[in-house]
Amino acid sequence: MLPLIQISDLSKIYVVGDVKVLALRRVSLDITAGEFVTIVGPSGSGKSTFMHILGCLDRPTSGSYVLNGRDVSKLSSDELAHVRNSTIGFVFQSFNLLSRTSAIENVELPLLYNGNTCAASERRQKAMKALSSVGLADRAHHHPNQLSGGQQQRVAIARALMTAPPILLADEPTGNLDTRTSIEVMEIFQQLQRDRGITVIVITHEHQIAEYGTRIIGFRDGRIVSDAPNPRARLASEELEQLPAPVTEVA
Amino acid sequence: MTHRETFELATKTLRRNPLRSALTLVGITIGVGAVVTMVAVGNGARASIEEQVVAAGMNVITVVAGNYQMKGEDGGGGVVDHQAWFDAGPPDIALVSSHPEDDPMEKHDHPTSRQRLGDSAAGLGAAATLTGADAAAIRSEVRGVQYVSAGVHESARVVRGDRRWFTRLHGAETDLSRIRRSWTFKHGRFFSSRESEDGDQVVVLGTVAHQRLFGGETNPVGAEVRIWNQPFRVIGVVASTNWATTGAVGDDQFDAVYVPLTAVHRLLNLTKLNSITITSRSAGETTNVSRAVTALLRQRHRIGDAHPDDFVVRTQASVALGKGVSRDVARAITGNAPGLEQLTLEQLSKTLERSSRTMTLLLASVAGVSLLVGGIGIMNIMLLSVTERTREIGLRMAIGARSRDVLTQFLAEAVTLSLIGGLIGVVLAIAAASGVERVLRWSADVSFGAIALAVVVAGAVGVFFGLYPARQAARLNPIDALRFE
Repeated sequence: MLPLIQISDLSKIYVVGDVKVLALRRVSLDITAGEFVTIVGPSGSGKSTFMHILGCLDRPTSGSYVLNGRDVSKLSSDELAHVRNSTIGFVFQSFNLLSRTSAIENVELPLLYNGNTCAASERRQKAMKALSSVGLADRAHHHPNQLSGGQQQRVAIARALMTAPPILLADEPTGNLDTRTSIEVMEIFQQLQRDRGITVIVITHEHQIAEYGTRIIGFRDGRIVSDAPNPRARLASEELEQLPAPVTEVA
Repeated sequence: MTHRETFELATKTLRRNPLRSALTLVGITIGVGAVVTMVAVGNGARASIEEQVVAAGMNVITVVAGNYQMKGEDGGGGVVDHQAWFDAGPPDIALVSSHPEDDPMEKHDHPTSRQRLGDSAAGLGAAATLTGADAAAIRSEVRGVQYVSAGVHESARVVRGDRRWFTRLHGAETDLSRIRRSWTFKHGRFFSSRESEDGDQVVVLGTVAHQRLFGGETNPVGAEVRIWNQPFRVIGVVASTNWATTGAVGDDQFDAVYVPLTAVHRLLNLTKLNSITITSRSAGETTNVSRAVTALLRQRHRIGDAHPDDFVVRTQASVALGKGVSRDVARAITGNAPGLEQLTLEQLSKTLERSSRTMTLLLASVAGVSLLVGGIGIMNIMLLSVTERTREIGLRMAIGARSRDVLTQFLAEAVTLSLIGGLIGVVLAIAAASGVERVLRWSADVSFGAIALAVVVAGAVGVFFGLYPARQAARLNPIDALRFE
């Protein structure tokens, strides 16, 4: 079976003024469908650059990136946009929800750009389903500023799932969340991986968060310094049960 | 996204910041509103002038018996205008032709026909020089003549029961109703050619006479009035189609009654005419026709080369422009064209054309400046919006929006702003135009063309000034945009 992601000899060089910065140095990596991969590294390790290329937001300077059997390292920006829309769901540290826009409208957004026009009612229906799957059906018409951080991140996850992408790419998804909501978010990721077979890739600088993955990849100075399976991955659902009962959130 | 969705999204976005959106489109609103209003008022003024000119009869030629030597600039023309007489005192006329009835306060018996028409006093207005045969000759011999109506003009007391009204009495022929294009019949009709030939004692009332004798409301057709102690049957009431020349007391056309010329001739035992009213087939022929009429009458009256005409041929252009039109407009036109009486129609139309071109130029510059300012306002706000929403743009790109999608989105917002601004401007302009019409009594004509043009131009302004900010947005790199603080 072909790996979902095949990266070989990937380099990225930024030119800042007269100085060339080597952000990635000949990185090679395969990721199989259904893995839960966490990428850890300190800031400046190149993991963000790697994530951008992985997420088709940027193109490598050299090397190849075969995603789902297609070399995406040399696609035009419009083609990349299409790949992002259909193949990758993004979750960000700062949620990146549109303010003054209801949760459900935020969730609908990816369907506006998926090329085949679908009726507004159908979009609404799909978005509602995605919101229910993250347990926020009753908050569909709340605006982001009426939601807690955890709820906002769950809306963002629902949005990432709208076009049913095979890959979920999360960049520091717990960076703005407290411990309990962090675990809740990781639980959702583990659920998605387990139940739907979605490949989850989480980039983080926290080792505790990295331990939820079944495979941990360490980055430093633009290189992969460690890549090992994690047979004793933390289980978010179990941890949640042991935590004291949550304070009821008031919307 | 479909176009509809794009614009729905744009309106939704703009509604999120209602005050800012409102302030942004004010510029376009004012621009479009001002343009449509001014075009409306300009059109209205032009239409009003043209209406006046046509209503007063650019193609009307009046031949008046006698040749009064006028002193000074204005004496009211050949026929003594008795309204002007008591408005301004006696006009400055070398040979004063006064009628006993020029003073309506004076009680008097009906004068004899000789006194009235001056048969016995040739030279005093020399009003006995035109005959029915002259009118017939003009009708048959002059080329380009459309209608001819010979006329006798009297002042008479019209009596109905215990009401009496002292007014102008015009003996006329059927064609007069065709010559007076601004006439409309409020009740009944004008007399037929048969009634005219037979000299039936029928009368058509002007609105003022109708008002005074019948109170204005009742339909007087079929009623009987008495003139010179003779019974006349009312067959119609004539009113003006033009709001600017609604009849007032003293008005020669509507404070008047019309009776068949033959009836007047029979009752007063006359054969002479005071005037012959002629229309040329087209306004452009007026000058030629009036020359031909002059030549024909001189020949018929056997006037030698050394002698002056014993009649006056006038075209209506000068009269039209001096009367009826709002005083300022008239002054503007006559002020720009000294010696208007000598103007030919071509010159006159050239003057009108020139002033309307100036007006159009003025409007265009007002339009240009206000739309430019409005457009810059839109561009400014859109640039600000692009900066503010950099992260949103980054996110949209991350989830699959192409540069093109971002471009369309921002362009749609700019165009929506300018179109809504334009539409509000149109609505305000319609309101303003009707306000101007009601309050200032100017005629304003909001044309569909002006509205369509304004809306199209507003949309174009949106595209033009929205393109740069939209391109700035579309050019953003998703990574930088997502990181933007």
